[in-house]
Amino acid sequence: MKKINPALTSSKMGGSMKKFPSHHSIGNYSRHSYKSSISFLGSTSRQRVNLQGEKISDKSYGAGGRHFIQVFDESGKDVTPHSLVVFDATFAQSRQNKIFSSQDLLSSDYILTGTMYQSVMNTSFGGPFTRSTFDSGSISRSSRTFSDSLEDIGDSGIQHDVPGLHQYFQIRREDVREQLNEDDLNKIVDVFLTETETFTFLDLPVEMVSVDSAEAESIKQRNQLYIELCKERVGNDRYIERMAQTFSGARKSKEVQCDKINTQETGVMATTWDMYDSFKEGEVHEEISSDHANQQKDLSQINFDRTILQTLSAINSIGLESRSSTSAESESVINVQGTEELEHDSEELLKNEKLKHDLFIMERVIMENIFQPKLAAYRQLPILPDPDGPSNAEEEVVEGIMLLDIMSPRLQPLWSFTCSLTKGRNVSCMVWNKHNLDLLAVGYGQFGYKEQRGGLICCWSLKNPMWPERIYNCESGITALEFSADSPNLLAVGHYDGTVAIYNIRNLENGLVLDSSNDHNKHIGPVWQLKWTEQDRNSKEDEKEGTLISIAADGRVAKWTLAKGLESSDLMRIKQTGMQTSRKMATDKEKKSEASISRQAPGMCFSFHPKEANIYLAGTEEGYIHKCSCSYNEQFLETYGVHKGPVYKVAWSPFSSDTFLSCSADWSIHVWNQEVLRPVLRFSSTITKAVHDIMWSPKTATVFGAVNEDRVEVWDLAVSILDPVIICPANEGLTLSTILFAKNTDCILVGDSNGEVIIYELHNMLQQEDSLITLDDIITATLDSQMISDSYKDSTEEPITTNICDTVE
Amino acid sequence: MELHRRGFRGGWRGCCQAEVEETLKRIQSQTGVVGIIVVNAEGIPIRTTMDNATTVQYAGLIHQLSMKARSTIRDIDPQNDLTFLRIRCKKNEIMVAPDKEYLLIVIQNTNESSL
Repeated sequence: MKKINPALTSSKMGGSMKKFPSHHSIGNYSRHSYKSSISFLGSTSRQRVNLQGEKISDKSYGAGGRHFIQVFDESGKDVTPHSLVVFDATFAQSRQNKIFSSQDLLSSDYILTGTMYQSVMNTSFGGPFTRSTFDSGSISRSSRTFSDSLEDIGDSGIQHDVPGLHQYFQIRREDVREQLNEDDLNKIVDVFLTETETFTFLDLPVEMVSVDSAEAESIKQRNQLYIELCKERVGNDRYIERMAQTFSGARKSKEVQCDKINTQETGVMATTWDMYDSFKEGEVHEEISSDHANQQKDLSQINFDRTILQTLSAINSIGLESRSSTSAESESVINVQGTEELEHDSEELLKNEKLKHDLFIMERVIMENIFQPKLAAYRQLPILPDPDGPSNAEEEVVEGIMLLDIMSPRLQPLWSFTCSLTKGRNVSCMVWNKHNLDLLAVGYGQFGYKEQRGGLICCWSLKNPMWPERIYNCESGITALEFSADSPNLLAVGHYDGTVAIYNIRNLENGLVLDSSNDHNKHIGPVWQLKWTEQDRNSKEDEKEGTLISIAADGRVAKWTLAKGLESSDLMRIKQTGMQTSRKMATDKEKKSEASISRQAPGMCFSFHPKEANIYLAGTEEGYIHKCSCSYNEQFLETYGVHKGPVYKVAWSPFSSDTFLSCSADWSIHVWNQEVLRPVLRFSSTITKAVHDIMWSPKTATVFGAVNEDRVEVWDLAVSILDPVIICPANEGLTLSTILFAKNTDCILVGDSNGEVIIYELHNMLQQEDSLITLDDIITATLDSQMISDSYKDSTEEPITTNICDTVE
Repeated sequence: MELHRRGFRGGWRGCCQAEVEETLKRIQSQTGVVGIIVVNAEGIPIRTTMDNATTVQYAGLIHQLSMKARSTIRDIDPQNDLTFLRIRCKKNEIMVAPDKEYLLIVIQNTNESSL
């Protein structure tokens, strides 16, 4: 090959050639090929190249004496490989154009050919087409395609090697193959070999280290050593290049059998509480040791069985037992083993205290679920609708109706305390616990003599309206109850047979602590009311636990002391000198009161003054209300005699210290001022029923509730002094007997003769700011008007306010 | 002696078990209560008011859940412990009282319409 002046190449090619970068690794061939192509500048036609070797070769010759490689074998046959590519006949002329204008080739064929040429031309030129595939195959491949391509090139006279886009050329190759004939085969064919790119098998790039660096010295030394080594190596005996062949041993496979390796997976979750437990118990039971370890072996097996039964998460805690060394764990295991015998397992479990407690809680939770809206109303919380409950269209209708009632005050029944035990018994008294305002004690006992049967005391909790917390049975009917304020677990009970008893409601079963049956001076008639006195009032030593005051139908107001030793009943006694009062026979004129024979009139009720604890009112069966003092046991301070029937209840107003309320079997309720001997206001109803119970509202001074046999009435004096604000009739066949206001909420409780205590909520009561002032105003106004009217009337004691009452049912 | 005279007819029989039985009966008779299950420590139901398949299913599943809940609580504070677990669902509410030796499960319908 000739060497071509590269300068010539570049100048002639001009701008277009600049697209082809030149590498130093270009062999002479490339330049040569370029050079030879220069001479064909000028022709512009693009023509296909076919494999017609003769013409092409002729043309190539004609084109200008190009050399092409020819391969001959020994016998002189031309065995130059054929090219794969199909060349057009006139390609030779235009090949330069193709070379130069290869960038312009548009058709796929020509593009391919152009690609070929580019790659051939200059394997190192970076062309727009992928070259690496071509290059890699150009020389190293000994495949037919490559050789064919060479042959083609040779045929066409083109000096460039044409490695193939194999797929395309192969197709063409097939087509053109047939055209080869004898002459073609005998022809001399040029073979062109070109150099491929360099394959790098090992590349150790030169590492440059700065002279100033720390390692520079050592590197210089090493470099020096290496240079010397290389020098020595040349003729050195120590370095001999030699090759050896190793035998590759014959392989043989051998089998060995061994026992199966048993694997077992165990898992432990180390939770915080596990570690805490182990640590704790390790501390406590450190001294217990090996005698438990022996048992542990047996137990661990049992434990293992247990773990099978339990779920995975449980295993984590119990699995610890098998590996824990804490002795307490083994102890707990032993305990479990001891109690868990298969037959008695369930029975033992049912005796578990904790189970009982859990059941208790569970019952309350269930009750809460059932009664949630009612309890929420009681507690004056907003009632939330059940989000999962069915949304009713009818609820809206009900709400609409309720809206109409919204303006008037009314009682809304919430629930009732009743159970199977209380059915059929008459509620005789109800009282709230002084300490826990959710606890209610209800006494059941008949009022009449003939109906007497056993009595019952039930302590109800708001948290369980369906079953009482405590149930105490008594022989005789209960007529009075009172909780102690100092010891909130003590309940004083008065019976129909005159016995006064003290119960400790902390005891589940036997609550009775003391009773008065051994006392010499016990009551003979039914005890109608009880009251605890405050502890701090008592200055005497033997009264430090508080004293009890009772009033009974035998006409005595007795004071009981609870001396030391609550269990013994001997210590209960009545101080005769203390409070015993004897009543005189009362007539309207009170002039025969000084008779020597004095009988005792049965006392029905009393009420202690809220502020002055010495003063109390006592109501009698004759209809008199006596104001008494604790200091005097002979005489009354005042007597108010207006009622014509037994006074069932008197009550001081908790707000106004001068006002009290009384109710009687003569169908009337009277409001009194303690200065005035006649009632300020009288309310009576045309319904001829005795008023059994009254109570002031603890919240509003002008409100009080009354219960006569047929209905509940709530009066609000600020609204009307003639009519009750709310009237709620009782169910058929029942008589209502007691009423109680709830302290912290707007609810009243009504007891009836069937053993039910119904809780009502007060709705739409008038909100008052200064109810006390209102009450006082009303009373003063009424008193004034009374006095004025008195001045007209001489000595009549007819009341001013008449009997007006509505009979709205 | 006073007790003797009074004759506590209504006092308990003195056996814890009777109380437990009575409470169980009362709970069962409440409105909306679907069933009660008492399971011992091994997962065997001791008392149940539902059919066997449901009981066994509840016992297994609730046991796992309560163990997980207890583990959670004690992980946060090892001195704390789980006393009660309530799961409120759309259709009902499951109340669980877990213990080392037993598991008490009560299922109650909470729908307003059931009251």
